[in-house]
Amino acid sequence: MHVLMMSMYAAMAAVVLATVDPKSETTRQRVIHGLKIFGSFLGIGLLLSWVLFPIPW
Amino acid sequence: MQPRDTLTDNIPPHFSDRTIPFNEPTPFPLARRTVAVIASWLVPGAGHLALGRYGRALLFFVTIVGAFVLGLSLNGHLYWPTVAEPGSTFHYDLITVLWFFAEIGSGLCYIASYALGLGMTPIPQAAASPTFEYGNTFMFLAGLLNYLVIHDAFDIAAGRKH
Repeated sequence: MHVLMMSMYAAMAAVVLATVDPKSETTRQRVIHGLKIFGSFLGIGLLLSWVLFPIPW
Repeated sequence: MQPRDTLTDNIPPHFSDRTIPFNEPTPFPLARRTVAVIASWLVPGAGHLALGRYGRALLFFVTIVGAFVLGLSLNGHLYWPTVAEPGSTFHYDLITVLWFFAEIGSGLCYIASYALGLGMTPIPQAAASPTFEYGNTFMFLAGLLNYLVIHDAFDIAAGRKH
């Protein structure tokens, strides 16, 4: 459930952030930028969960 | 010394340092800019629709309204600034002000939900739902992303980007 929600959150944020990005001029650049944002959200989320997991409180 | 070029010499001086704009964005009139920004806040993507950016308009509408509706369906709550407890530094509870600011960014989504009584379940009961925090997060996301979309619509209307 949590990973599904996180993926949906990342996808929605990535779509908008990549579309409004002023540096991307073509659709291809926007798609690549969006995939990077999506991957970053998921990667950082999983990394944080792995780092925080041993903390008991 | 370089040889003089007759072709260059014959160009009138007011053309000599002029660059020819190629595919530069042009600013829209002030009235249309204002309409685009207000429409963008009220309905996500409507500002881009007013500026003729139909693809972006559809994408923003589906994403942002989708995030808001998903949040509501996950038992998210519509926040309103509440008065802080007596003795607090500020009159209002700051976290509810921030949550309200995030949610009101989605414009009519928030207003219509408020009018229809959606997302108005009192906090203790709403928080009992296991998806309460997910719902709130998606509703915050919708409003905050719409602020970016409003900014994008303004930039396009002002001729700063395509």
